[in-house]
Amino acid sequence: MKLFPRIRKVPFWSWIWFILGTLYFILPLYATFNFSLRMQRDVIGFRAYVRAFEDPNFLETFLFSNVLAVATIIASIVLIVPTAYWIRLRLPEARRITEFITLLPFVIPAIILVFGLIRIYSSPITVPFTGIELFRPLTNTRAGTNILIVAGYMVLAMPYMYRSVDTGMRTVDVRTLTEAAQSLGASWFAIITRIILPNIRAALLSGALLTFAIVLGEVILASFLGVDAFGPYLFLLGQHRAYEPAALSFVTFLLTWIAMGFIQLLTGGQGQAAGAH
Amino acid sequence: MAYLTLSDISKIYADAPAVQDFNLDVEKGEFVSFLGPSGCGKTTTLRMVAGFEIPTTGKITLDGADITNKAPNQRNVGMVFQSYALFPNMTVAQNIGFGLRIRKENESAIAARVKEMLAIINMEKRGDSYPYQLSGGQQQRVALARALAIRPHVLLLDEPLSALDAKIRVSLRAEIRSIQQKLGITTIYVTHDQEEALSLSDRIVVMNVGVIEQVGTPSEIYNFPTTAFVANFVGTLNTANAEVVDPAKSIISVDGVPFETAKDLKSSKKGDKVRISIRPERFSFADEQKKDNVLDCTIENITFLGSIVRIQILIGNTKFYMDIFNNPFLELLKVGEKGQVTCSREAVLVLNE
Repeated sequence: MKLFPRIRKVPFWSWIWFILGTLYFILPLYATFNFSLRMQRDVIGFRAYVRAFEDPNFLETFLFSNVLAVATIIASIVLIVPTAYWIRLRLPEARRITEFITLLPFVIPAIILVFGLIRIYSSPITVPFTGIELFRPLTNTRAGTNILIVAGYMVLAMPYMYRSVDTGMRTVDVRTLTEAAQSLGASWFAIITRIILPNIRAALLSGALLTFAIVLGEVILASFLGVDAFGPYLFLLGQHRAYEPAALSFVTFLLTWIAMGFIQLLTGGQGQAAGAH
Repeated sequence: MAYLTLSDISKIYADAPAVQDFNLDVEKGEFVSFLGPSGCGKTTTLRMVAGFEIPTTGKITLDGADITNKAPNQRNVGMVFQSYALFPNMTVAQNIGFGLRIRKENESAIAARVKEMLAIINMEKRGDSYPYQLSGGQQQRVALARALAIRPHVLLLDEPLSALDAKIRVSLRAEIRSIQQKLGITTIYVTHDQEEALSLSDRIVVMNVGVIEQVGTPSEIYNFPTTAFVANFVGTLNTANAEVVDPAKSIISVDGVPFETAKDLKSSKKGDKVRISIRPERFSFADEQKKDNVLDCTIENITFLGSIVRIQILIGNTKFYMDIFNNPFLELLKVGEKGQVTCSREAVLVLNE
């Protein structure tokens, strides 16, 4: 009698590629972790972690970046879900141009984006040809700057968020589900909130996670807009210290993995089934 | 006045007309099928009733109210789709209750209605299942219950059985008809399957390239097709070119062989070309009592199809099919032998082109 009768035989080369792939991801992580434990000479310990967490700027910038990330995720969902939905439903011809636009952040560096934002929003916004002021310069206030940085993050996260949402919508028959809901009396708002969003939940969470990771690590927008975010903090720390940045990088990795596990937990059962037909 | 009226409906897309000059009155509680091949405009017409398409011209009234331009969610029309379209994130009970929740009915009324619907579709114990846990037939029954739960004015079914296997199709269509009759709900059913349309409907609308070819009861459509298209599309049919020989006596000739028809041909002239059709089952082997159209024939081929036997016969130079019921003691002529067949005057239909 076989001990593990259900284990399929996996080809030898598959194992090799799997092991190489795993090493490629795990080794740098292990090296960072290992380095972060060696702050004190000849002692393996968590001193770098203690030092990093003791710094009040760490918690402050980390929490603030979290708030920015959540704001970016919500704003991205509000913008991208109805857009992707409408393109699938009524404007399939706009699909190519939309995909092109969503890829632009890959080819236009963040530095250009931030200078564009500063150039436009550092002067008052007026009604054309009248001089009537609609908004004061956004860069002049903290709230205005935060709005600008969230808008910038939305642009940077757009390729990931749009693709996640669009892929999620591909797994459900958006058109027929919409028509079924309409025939039952549902409004557009009810269709999006009760039918579309729950059925692309897994895709939304993936997009949200990627957005979260981008916002947490982003340096350029925050530096040039003068926002005290986690990215610039980590960057500055890296310039002056050796072990604490490694410790914080490892912690960020862990947080990401925990978030992914959380997504699996939330969507592993019903979330997968939601896409089934 | 009819319950649902479609008057002078047409739908024209950029490249071509999908539906033209569509006029139909549907009575309350009636089961009407739209039958036709792919691209004939039957689904487009159904979608115009549902509100998913707006007619280019014409008017749709439901219970006296003009609904031509009303949004789909304002029409109170239940729809069942070919792909079931159950909401994957909801259980069976939640799916059925969705329309009622949208209408903000109270939870106890919703629960009672869901229970009632589950009983109607014989799925009382599956209320907590998710769609992916159900078979295709069960999913379609849930879709039907969901559409019926809102007590719609009209139930629309868009090829609801096409995705199911043959056996389930037959049992589910009987179930659909029984539920429709029990609830007395006005129903429009789109199908390209003639057997489905014939077995389910009070009336059938046969469509081709966007226009109505014929409207009638299943019996009228099958036995008295008025156009060559209907005759060919519904059931197996013998068709042949013929020539009017004696208009006064309604006698025509198929390749030199005279046939008598019940159709009044007094308005025709001798020598006029016509097209005739005869259902295979309207032929029988001639006996002494039969006097209409006794025709000499040669047996060309015999095929057993279970309950019927299909015999290919040659009358003059024209091939016809003849269907007779199978029985264990059936004695048939052999292939190549000569005999006589007969068909009534009424069986020889002269078609409008």
